[in-house]
Amino acid sequence: MLTYSFKRLVQLFVTVLGVVTLVFFTMRLIPGDPISAMAGDNLSGAALDQMRGQMGLNDPLPVQYLTYLGRLAVLDFGTTVTTKLPIVGLILGALPVTVSIALGTIFLTVLISIPLGTLAAYMAHKGNRMLDNIITGVAMVLDLMPPFWTSLVCLLIFSLTLGWFPASGTVSLDDPAMLLRRIALPVLVLSMAQIATLARITRTSVLEVLNEDYVRTARSMGWSELHVLFRHALKNAALPIVTVIGLSFGNLLNGTVIVEFIFTLPGIGNLLVGGMNSRDYQMVQTLIVFYAMIFVAINFTTDLIYRVFDPRVQF
Amino acid sequence: MNELRPIRSALLDVRNLHTHFLTDKGTVKAVNGVSFQINQGERVAIVGESGSGKSAMAMSLLRLLAYPGKVVSGEINLEGRDLNRLSERQLNEVRGRLVGTIFQDPMSSLDPVMRISNQMIPPIMRHLGLSREKARAEAISWLDRVGIPDAARRIESYPFEMSGGMRQRVMIAMALSCRPRLVIADEPTTALDVTIQAQIVELLKELTAETGAAMIFITHDLGLVARFAHKVGVMYAGKLVEFGPVKDIFARPRHPYTQSLLDTIPPVDQLERRRLAQIPGFPPDMKLPVTGCAFKDRCAGAHRRCFEVAPELEPRGHGHAAACWLPEGLGAGRQMERALIPPMEPAADAGEDRVVVEINNLHKHFTTRSSLPWRKPPTVRAVNGISLRIRKGETLGIVGESGCGKSTVARLLLGLDPATSGDIFIDGMAQMVFQDPSSSFNPKMTLFNIIQEPLVVTGWGTKAERETRVRELLGQVGLDESYMHRYPSQLSGGQRQRIAIARALALKPSVVVADEPTSALDVSVRAQIINLLVDLKQKLRVSFVFISHDLLTVSYISDKIAVMYLGEVVEYGPADEVFNNPAHPYTQALISAVPIPDPEAEEARIQKPLSGELPSPLNLPVGCSFASRCPKATDYCRTHKMVLKPYSKTRETACHYAS
Repeated sequence: MLTYSFKRLVQLFVTVLGVVTLVFFTMRLIPGDPISAMAGDNLSGAALDQMRGQMGLNDPLPVQYLTYLGRLAVLDFGTTVTTKLPIVGLILGALPVTVSIALGTIFLTVLISIPLGTLAAYMAHKGNRMLDNIITGVAMVLDLMPPFWTSLVCLLIFSLTLGWFPASGTVSLDDPAMLLRRIALPVLVLSMAQIATLARITRTSVLEVLNEDYVRTARSMGWSELHVLFRHALKNAALPIVTVIGLSFGNLLNGTVIVEFIFTLPGIGNLLVGGMNSRDYQMVQTLIVFYAMIFVAINFTTDLIYRVFDPRVQF
Repeated sequence: MNELRPIRSALLDVRNLHTHFLTDKGTVKAVNGVSFQINQGERVAIVGESGSGKSAMAMSLLRLLAYPGKVVSGEINLEGRDLNRLSERQLNEVRGRLVGTIFQDPMSSLDPVMRISNQMIPPIMRHLGLSREKARAEAISWLDRVGIPDAARRIESYPFEMSGGMRQRVMIAMALSCRPRLVIADEPTTALDVTIQAQIVELLKELTAETGAAMIFITHDLGLVARFAHKVGVMYAGKLVEFGPVKDIFARPRHPYTQSLLDTIPPVDQLERRRLAQIPGFPPDMKLPVTGCAFKDRCAGAHRRCFEVAPELEPRGHGHAAACWLPEGLGAGRQMERALIPPMEPAADAGEDRVVVEINNLHKHFTTRSSLPWRKPPTVRAVNGISLRIRKGETLGIVGESGCGKSTVARLLLGLDPATSGDIFIDGMAQMVFQDPSSSFNPKMTLFNIIQEPLVVTGWGTKAERETRVRELLGQVGLDESYMHRYPSQLSGGQRQRIAIARALALKPSVVVADEPTSALDVSVRAQIINLLVDLKQKLRVSFVFISHDLLTVSYISDKIAVMYLGEVVEYGPADEVFNNPAHPYTQALISAVPIPDPEAEEARIQKPLSGELPSPLNLPVGCSFASRCPKATDYCRTHKMVLKPYSKTRETACHYAS
């Protein structure tokens, strides 16, 4: 376990370094820089140049890169270009919204797709493929709908036409009811993309387990179908399901950026979009480091959860 | 005991059972009208080849068939109740309570993510109405009875922390834990080594005798039947074709199928070697309707009536019944066609008798990578210093339990793995025949391309010459030339193994290594392949290395036998001498564990199965590697390493006390 944690730590370090390097250079490939984005057409070339010099943007790229790494090493993530606010503070402020959306989506997805997939597997095991076909069909349709499009459609139907959910409004942790109403649609949109996938994975792995010898053993000891399904089959089928949930977290980070933008929610996805638009190198880089760390943390947690479901997994 | 008690009605009375599998391609009639009775405490063996419906029949009794299997009709009377009429809920009170089930593969029959305690205790609580503490005590006492050491602690283990033999013991404990009246065992020892098999069989015998439970034992191994059963039912194409007391069945089988099946087994007494009987053809397709007797196409005694009306199971006296129009089956015609195998002709000149394979002090160690650099990585000594010699035209049999290193030797001989140390000298070329003929071919290649592949790789001959060679090879392995353009999936298991042999022979190798070539095959097909190998040996004077755990077959086909234990050869010598008069305690134990297909002889043998299991090759004992399981071991054995020493003129053994 210790060796394993150590390996993971090394992996975190390498991942972050790689991501940082990649983002650092690609950001600078994009035309424009923070100063020109901020100034627009108002300031003269000389004035801009002076500001760039103050920020160290006139140094050669390798020097800028090393300076950045040096600051990173002492956990100095810097401030925003425009407002000069500490970036870490901004991220921590925006985090609750994004975490609420992500966890809400996972919760809704698991709640619907695992029972649905298990039921489909059980029916298929008994030779009834109806539910199976329905899930596969729905999954195909949902997979083909990109979240930015479903977001707009949902907004149109549920907020603008039916008026069930507010399309805008302040969001904070102090007002959970409002938060819930504001994130309901984003959660729904993101879940739609995940439910079908997870239900299909659940269905496949449970169906495979139902054909295993130990399931027959449990039946031969007089256990009912329900007992067999939930006590034996689901636990054995858990590994692929946990893997897919872990992976879908990755997709979610992607998805939250889109839905936060469309539903104007002040999460870290919106920070990222804002940072990109204002060419705020520091902001984007810090956010990407943050995302990378979340990714590694999720992988780590997924592995730990494996151990809970399968004692054969050794670290 | 049970014989003394008057029995009014049978414990289990199965009448006209029909089970179908409703597949997309048609209805497979797996069980086709089976009727039989089992009395209390009786052990009944059901034998048959794969596809005969024996497992489907057994699983039908408790409705444990997976989709699309379905019991279509019939009565299954257990203690007067028809199980076929019970609801699923009622049947769940019978499963595990009145009828316990033991399955074939202990590696997959226990839930891998659940502790033994959680699998064993809840059924006991439920069926016997005990509290958790009492049920736990009961489960531990059962584990203790089946020979799990330190049961109170081991009950908290997961299945993966146990060996296959131990898991099967747990499975038996589980099946018997609610004191069932009947135990169904579906090939319970097929996946186990021969010594472990002997232990498990003894255990089942003892426990069922103690608890008075009756037993249905499904198997394809006639030797086990002779060792174990009171009565035997022989199944063919979904029907019982013969049923009766075990001694009667073996001494006077009445159905041609039973008769042929018994003749396909290599005999124990091999003073004069006869060819094994073969059953020609294939079992009928169970999707198609059968007119007349299902066995008629493969039966030497078939006549007009067999093609018109199917014979029913008719009494033949003494509780014996057979489904054949001929009262004695093949009768006297049984032994006719089995020719004597002539002894090998002595070599024409000295060069013909030369040594073609020589192995000197061969070692193969597998080192796993240690995760921490300063820790010494564990080393598995799979082959630990063996020396062997094979002459031209000689067949060397290598036997031993799984994990003894016999397959590693094969891989080393072929050069598939590099040896850690030691020399292998081969005069000519070595080729290989693998165990599983269905997975050792590229399914997208025609048989012609499969056989000619080694020729193409080595650039042998022109295209026309290669084609002639392939035709010749097909002829040698007894297949028609028309097979050339077929694909592996169009062949039966036996035919595929013939192709594997043809491919191995293509380059005229001096030695062919066959690793368990008959283990995946049915009894009747196995006999065909063994006969083929014996013929090829005679005709081509090829040397064979025959690796198998099936001692009867090895001793039948081999000239010399090497017995391996933990990567070492512990005994070496002429096959019949080693088999009939083993010198090393391990060989003795191994041979006494082999069930002989003769109930009378089995009764006379002293059954003392070898205790314990193969130690881990990770940390080998200091002294004799067999000392931990040897009944004769002394302190000297535990501290002194044994090497192979001459035992007689022709034999060598690695035991301090043998010579």
